[in-house]
Amino acid sequence: MEQPRKWRYGVNRWLILLFVILGVLAARAYPPILPHIQLPAEAISGEPLFSLPVIGDFYFTNTLLATLIADVLLLLLAFGVYRATRSGSLVPKGLPGAVEALLEAIHNLTASTAGKWARTIFPFFATITLLVLVVNWMELIPGVDSIGLLEPSEHGYPVKEIFPGVATIVKGAEGEAHEGELYALRPYLRVASTDLNFTVSLALISVFMTQVFGARALGGTYFTKFFNTRTLFKKPMFGAIDFLVGILEAILEAVKVLSFSFRLFGNIFAGSILLFVVGSLVPIFAQSAVLLFEFFVGMIQAIVFGMLTLIFMSLATVGHAEAEAH
Amino acid sequence: MEGDIVEAATILGKLLGAGMAAIGVLGGGIGVGLSALGAVQAMGRNPDVTGTIQTNMILGFAFAEATSIYALVVALLILFVF
Repeated sequence: MEQPRKWRYGVNRWLILLFVILGVLAARAYPPILPHIQLPAEAISGEPLFSLPVIGDFYFTNTLLATLIADVLLLLLAFGVYRATRSGSLVPKGLPGAVEALLEAIHNLTASTAGKWARTIFPFFATITLLVLVVNWMELIPGVDSIGLLEPSEHGYPVKEIFPGVATIVKGAEGEAHEGELYALRPYLRVASTDLNFTVSLALISVFMTQVFGARALGGTYFTKFFNTRTLFKKPMFGAIDFLVGILEAILEAVKVLSFSFRLFGNIFAGSILLFVVGSLVPIFAQSAVLLFEFFVGMIQAIVFGMLTLIFMSLATVGHAEAEAH
Repeated sequence: MEGDIVEAATILGKLLGAGMAAIGVLGGGIGVGLSALGAVQAMGRNPDVTGTIQTNMILGFAFAEATSIYALVVALLILFVF
């Protein structure tokens, strides 16, 4: 058992050195350049998927493709773990064991925060956390944001063919007149969190389901949080203040959508720009540190998105009057 | 000639606006520093709960950071959208 382990470590060491040298050579041969950064997701299908009369055309964008890939990964993981639990052994090994430990930690957190509503809230919390986690970590995979179609663009750079049919963008010398057409890259895959559509829709789901759980837990009295007329006629002065506070609460619910979506979007979009800039300025070594940092940020943002959903949902299931009582 | 001046003024305004929007990052930095201060002091007093404190500290970082991320989003919007 000891012997092959030693041998494998020795090979890994030389493999890492080989990749470092290859990376340096590749960066010397084709210096990375700063891509044209744009906020809306790029369409990768020529024609729109479908059109709606007022809203407009819907394209198949690269962030949508990234979301679908993340969904498929999660589904495969789920089916794998399901089959492992069905196989009969009570003690899961390997990946199913890791997933079980992760889900147990998430479930304990839900149970300690949400109390008796844990079973209802847990699916939303776990789904949002896992989806955002997988989507954020796609940023770290080489090829995301850098493999795609070349299209003529005024912001572009000259291209050079390395294999037949495969071309790469090359950096022209400074001040040199570009000959021929200039191309920009339209990547096949882009991190879904850098698209506001993804983050806003997740935030809408989270905030809407918060209202649904609140209404289910407290019935009609949940909405007196927003239209507080309980004390309006008994004590006119304080009742009016309570009513205004209720309206403020309603505005706060709408602001939650903004804060949820911009927090995730801003962190990940700024992170990917940081990766572009550092990669184009210092193509060797320096990006490793930024990649580690982005690994951390992606995990933290996923946990924060899920935790906030959990906390808001469990707060909504606890009544206003009960909270005042103690 | 006039078009050039307008274009230059647009670029100048964009860059100045993005720079000024990034001033908002200040508050987030102060907030993150304060939460780290509190966490380290608490760990010094009671090293047994370091794990719990670290988890909550990182959550606090994320929330304090959020407002500066909004400033960053505004700066990015100014630079890459308008």
